[in-house]
Amino acid sequence: MPGHRTKGFCASAAALALCAVLAGCGGSGESVGGGKVALRYTWWGNPDRAERTEQAIALFEKRHPNVQVQTSFSGYDAYKQKLAVQATGGDAPDVMQLDYRQIDQYASGGVLLDLAKQKAVLHTSEIDPGLLATGLVDGTQYAIPQGRGTETVVYDVKTWKASGVPLPRQGWTWSDWAAAVRELAKKTGKPGATDPGQSEDAFEVWLRGRGKALYTKDGSLGFTADDLTEWWTFADKLRRAGAVSPAEQTTQLDGSVENTPLGRGKAVSDFNWDAPASGYLALIPDGVALAPMPAGENGTPGQYFKPSMFLGVSANTGHAKESAQLVDFLLNDQDAAKILGAARGIPVNETIREKTAPQLMDFDKTVADFQSSLEGTLKDPPQAPPSGDNALQSTFQRDYDQVSYERMSPREAAENYVTEAKAELRS
Amino acid sequence: MTTTDIPAPTARPKRPATAPKRRPKREREGAAWVFLSPWVLGAIVLTLLPMAVSLYLSFTDYNLFDPPRWVGLRNYTQMFTEDPRYWRSVMTTLTYVVIAVPLQLALALAVALALKPMKRGKGFYRSAFYAPSLLGASMSIALVWRAVFNDGGTVDNLLGTGGWVNKPGWALLSVALLTVWQFGAPMVIFLAGLQQIPAELYEAAAVDGAGKWRQFVSVTVPMLSPVLFFNLVLQTIQAFQVFTPAFAVSAGKGGPADSTLVYTMYLYDRGFVASHMGYASAMAWVLLLVIGAVTAVLFRTSRSWVFYASEGDR
Repeated sequence: MPGHRTKGFCASAAALALCAVLAGCGGSGESVGGGKVALRYTWWGNPDRAERTEQAIALFEKRHPNVQVQTSFSGYDAYKQKLAVQATGGDAPDVMQLDYRQIDQYASGGVLLDLAKQKAVLHTSEIDPGLLATGLVDGTQYAIPQGRGTETVVYDVKTWKASGVPLPRQGWTWSDWAAAVRELAKKTGKPGATDPGQSEDAFEVWLRGRGKALYTKDGSLGFTADDLTEWWTFADKLRRAGAVSPAEQTTQLDGSVENTPLGRGKAVSDFNWDAPASGYLALIPDGVALAPMPAGENGTPGQYFKPSMFLGVSANTGHAKESAQLVDFLLNDQDAAKILGAARGIPVNETIREKTAPQLMDFDKTVADFQSSLEGTLKDPPQAPPSGDNALQSTFQRDYDQVSYERMSPREAAENYVTEAKAELRS
Repeated sequence: MTTTDIPAPTARPKRPATAPKRRPKREREGAAWVFLSPWVLGAIVLTLLPMAVSLYLSFTDYNLFDPPRWVGLRNYTQMFTEDPRYWRSVMTTLTYVVIAVPLQLALALAVALALKPMKRGKGFYRSAFYAPSLLGASMSIALVWRAVFNDGGTVDNLLGTGGWVNKPGWALLSVALLTVWQFGAPMVIFLAGLQQIPAELYEAAAVDGAGKWRQFVSVTVPMLSPVLFFNLVLQTIQAFQVFTPAFAVSAGKGGPADSTLVYTMYLYDRGFVASHMGYASAMAWVLLLVIGAVTAVLFRTSRSWVFYASEGDR
């Protein structure tokens, strides 16, 4: 064998492989089939939400025979990443579900359409002005809230009751909660709750219970490393005592109920938003119940009513009118409301909310009742988080991983987080 | 009768002097360019242009939404001096390369050696062992892998491991195993290499009283060294760029506790999760340079251990 050829071949193959390092990927165009207008509509959520959404979309297509809606959904974490890639490639879906955390970044990045210009087909008069205003960025209506949600302690009713530990009640404090999960762990042999240390949302409730906030009005960090150290020490102690889920379980959280310890039958309760809690029903056949979040030690409530999610339209859509029609349908149509129920939180359209409240079935009614039990007891929601928060949510979880795997002390991790957060919010 | 047998030169059909009417050089090149154009266009649009853009972006602060802002070398200095996670990802990747590449090559060589003397069913086994290389790169298999090594998964049930993918000390190994399992491509190359080794060498060695091991060390390894080198270079380059298995096994997070945060995962995290495209581009360029350097070093060392038949007398 001519050895030199082998050598040369090696070299050129290696060079080729090197070139592959930086290969990019292209975007895809938008397709219109059979003279119909094709719209893309994406959201995050569980299968229950997907099923109801598909039904509602089918009805929309019946009403608008010239429009065809392609839908897709995924879990929250995956959705967030995918949408960011699509949006920046100029390929955002025509209609997209957005989180409170995303609207600031997306609106200022020019991804979203000014929805006030679609007044002719998209009606917002039935939405509470205060709630509607949460979709404003610099005075422009870039997104419309789709539902109202709040955080909750969702628990496996049967297991909790059987344990003999007193059920959660209105106004319980974080130390009551800690005592309860310790007792639960002792009585049931399972951790009483998912480790809350990883959750920025739970931390926010705890922080608000002490009269502080995640962010200040001007969008910088609203707490110190000391606050976070205290929170992570609190969670760390409970985890070491086996009162909340171990690191191996907690690290599997990805925003879907299927991968929570409660959903996997490995814990008794979980913190979650109220609407997606319906997803636990399929996993815990004996049923789940909702309880208020623990309050600060002096009784200050930390939880709040938050626009659970928004609908926005891509600035690049070729079909602004049809997209706005779809948004209008999802928000204001009686029949759509009946199908969707509370799968995305309690409806924002006042008439629909009043009309459908008595008709709500099963878990939707549970969510509605839960929300009305809190009515008037909660403080105002914080303003929309600054752009950097989108990434910080994952940072929070990751930094706590270092604590739960005992690679860092709560203090070290907290200082890390605060440094990272400050850098993130500055840029 | 001396010269008559040979036809006079003039009788020959006239060649170059008249026939050519040489088409101008540019015209002939034009045809070449027409045929080359798909490749050239592809190379420019899909490789060179993105590379140039990425090089530019690596000197900017770019969050994907707002226009890039020139920051000079800041991304690079930040990477090397202020970012502990960057170094963690570098260490993770090096650990991964050191585990995965030798394991994979050893397995590929072992299977190739086992298949070589086989008379029947060779084709079947060859395809069977090659199949994971075709399937393994897919996301679906990676997800299956996660399920297998998760708590409550197959490996947990068999060995009582409690799920490797959730243990920081073990997660990287489950990622590496996914790569090792895809040893088909190097195996086929080894097999081809083995079949090139002349049987006389073995016969001669046997006559000299060499046992199987001795034959392997003194005949197979030196004769196979160019192929071994080729596989080593290729697999090392690939290992530096590992992404899919780490992404799937850690559900896109590089966890638990950053234990599977390989270089490209962190690059992805910076670019697409935290929207720091400039920083991610800078990371990509450093990776390119490092892979280039590592490859160069491998070529250097190869002089002392790779044996080419044509240089046998050296």
